[in-house]
Amino acid sequence: MSDDRTEREPRGRGAKKARPVARASRAGAGGAPAAKKTSSKAAAAKASSKKTAARKPSARRAPRGMGTEPAAEPAAKRPAAKRPAATARSFEAAPSVQAEPFAEVGGDVPADSAPAREVPVDERLQDIERNLDRLLSEADTAAGDPIARRRAAEALNQIAERLSPTERRDNPDETLFGTARELLSTDYYFRQWGRVAMRNRSEEVDDFGLDPAYEQRVLPFFKLLYERWFRVRTEGLDRVPTTGRALVVANHSGTVPWDGVMLKMAVQLEHSRRDFRWLAEDFVFHMPFLGAFMNRIGAVRACQENAERLLGRDALVAVFPEGIKGIGKLFRQRYQLQRFGRGGYIKLALRMRTPIIPTAVIGAEETNPLLFKVTRVTRGLGLPYVPVTPTFPLLGPLGLVPAPTRWRIVFGEPIELDEHGPEAAEDAVLVNRLNERVRNTIQGMIDQALAQRTSVFWG
Amino acid sequence: MATNERPQALRRTSPRKRVVAMSGADTFLGRNLIGLLEEDPHVGRIVAVDIVNPPTSGHKTRFYQVDLTEPSVDARLSEILKAEAVDTFVHLAFLASPTYATAWAHELESVGTKHVLDACREQQVGKFVLWSETLLYGPHPDNPNFLTEAHPLRGLRGSRFLTDRIGAERETRRFAEQDPGRVVTILRLAPMLGPTVQSYVTRWLSRRIVPTMMGFDPLLQALHELDAVAAFKLAIDRDVPGTFNIVGDGVLPVSTVVKLAGRFAVPVPHFVAHQVNSVLWAAHFNEAPPAFLDLLRYLCVADGHRAREELGFLPAFTTREAVLDFGGTLRLRDARLLSKEPARSGTSREHQAGA
Repeated sequence: MSDDRTEREPRGRGAKKARPVARASRAGAGGAPAAKKTSSKAAAAKASSKKTAARKPSARRAPRGMGTEPAAEPAAKRPAAKRPAATARSFEAAPSVQAEPFAEVGGDVPADSAPAREVPVDERLQDIERNLDRLLSEADTAAGDPIARRRAAEALNQIAERLSPTERRDNPDETLFGTARELLSTDYYFRQWGRVAMRNRSEEVDDFGLDPAYEQRVLPFFKLLYERWFRVRTEGLDRVPTTGRALVVANHSGTVPWDGVMLKMAVQLEHSRRDFRWLAEDFVFHMPFLGAFMNRIGAVRACQENAERLLGRDALVAVFPEGIKGIGKLFRQRYQLQRFGRGGYIKLALRMRTPIIPTAVIGAEETNPLLFKVTRVTRGLGLPYVPVTPTFPLLGPLGLVPAPTRWRIVFGEPIELDEHGPEAAEDAVLVNRLNERVRNTIQGMIDQALAQRTSVFWG
Repeated sequence: MATNERPQALRRTSPRKRVVAMSGADTFLGRNLIGLLEEDPHVGRIVAVDIVNPPTSGHKTRFYQVDLTEPSVDARLSEILKAEAVDTFVHLAFLASPTYATAWAHELESVGTKHVLDACREQQVGKFVLWSETLLYGPHPDNPNFLTEAHPLRGLRGSRFLTDRIGAERETRRFAEQDPGRVVTILRLAPMLGPTVQSYVTRWLSRRIVPTMMGFDPLLQALHELDAVAAFKLAIDRDVPGTFNIVGDGVLPVSTVVKLAGRFAVPVPHFVAHQVNSVLWAAHFNEAPPAFLDLLRYLCVADGHRAREELGFLPAFTTREAVLDFGGTLRLRDARLLSKEPARSGTSREHQAGA
């Protein structure tokens, strides 16, 4: 297959390039008698063209014959794009040797293509006659020069080519054929596919795979979710530092965890446009599509090395210490914080000397109320469990659409751990105590916010 | 035999001229390194050890035809090292791509390394440089985004393909621990890309239609071939013991790599790809066995910080630039302006294997 392609492709390409040249020579052969008749006199073309070139420097400078036409002749008002494709292509490919005589003729005589109809035909014919006369009269002076003679002959051939109706008739066919050939070549589809596939993607990604172009692409959707669907209210965003590293520690909930993305939106829409990363569970990255998607929008696999590296870059990082136990809470356990892992985030904060911002997310628990979970057959799917919500297996994938609950995100007072040195990370007792302290703080914030809430959907 | 008079002290580099021995001299790295060392005034002599004389060898190079898979090769190597008074050994005799001849690969990579180390031990060679790969960490879903040198080498899941390489590295580390005075540098190279290097990675990307894994788009890392050679030159010039990840800056998702190389990615569901790949591999029709498909699913990206700090290795090409450079060569090959493969493709061992 691939060999086949490589063999075919250069030939096709070569043919495309060679076509105008071949045509020129064909025209040359056809118009030979005419050229011979006038050759002695028409040789003056070079001399006259030099004159014109001096008069119109732009025509000389331009490498292509027809490309210069509108610039050289203001009277030719038609835009280059309006010219029939065939003409444009044949002259585009004409070598620059032909440029001089042709620019002259083409400049003085507006071409006879369709959009030029505003100039009366008679006038144009008179123009051509005048030019021919001049050419012939000046030919005597340069009759001896064979190059000049050949150029003049070529110029005449080109005039003939443009005036002759037979030439024009097969041009569209040729264009059509060319287009058809282009459309039939696999290379064309490869190119198109490459363009389509890279449309929403940037060529360079961040160290953790965040794709800025892709992020911009999905931003409107998340914005809609944030502002219209969940109608998120935030409190205490001013406690989040605008510079320097910080660890946002939040409760995790909602079967399908939207809280990471919503925290990101809260920071980016209402706080500052600073880089916000959240650590996502392992199983996300075991799964097809989801892992790649999460990676592109800024989620990072949760592990000590990644977190340390992020904090080392002074990033704002969110962690959900409850992990899978948090999103897998049954509905009746809602807003009861689970065990905060083994306090890995405390060790991290101690080691990296990072303030902890306890955060409570209210409203996410009710988006997909988890009635029970199936764990028996899910090992093979790479999922920790299959959730059963009032809607999920019942309505298919549609059942995973979150309920439009009203969210509230409360950022608490930062907890500084500076009093303990980095070596305190090894002190298991201290880590447990700090862990419990942070957990109690967040539970307190949740309880307080729940007490203030009047309605799940409107409160 | 050489054994009756063993040197008592480690043979150190003389201040003026180094004598560098190189096993696998006709591999991609070997050929290019010999070319560089030939021009280096600080290198007195190059001892090329391989079964084929590398085309880049000049007047400084002495070639010895040695097959590392032969049983008594350590004595032969020892004689050569003694006769040439070698002070630096660069061990490059490894396969660039997975091979069908796994038993032979074991003899070459694992046992061959043991022979080489034994000879170096016997002749008290003061410096040893080993070619290793970041691939040995293995693509795993629970890898951190950047693997440091401290991370264990886990190889490919459910496959024995890289165990010989891992074994060779373990042997080398033991060799380093035996004598702390010895300078043992292990360079773990990211997958190499560039105009002339050939491996299963370049062959995978050279296809018109590049299979990728549906739903997975892990970040890849590449090292430009020039940077790879430069890293070895640096390791030979500077006496920095340790293990180093040699990687290009930046990472790119698989899909972007394929597109930058001007190729057409076709996502295939993993279970289908696994089956098809098994069949193709069994039919000797493929560049890599199915276990390597994990490279297209999970992360295997290494952190090159340490090489930068301690070895002073600064890659000249980022991952993206390496891919673009490779893509440019691919385009020339497509238009038949370059031959399909570089003049001397593959390693000499692949010639021997008949691959």
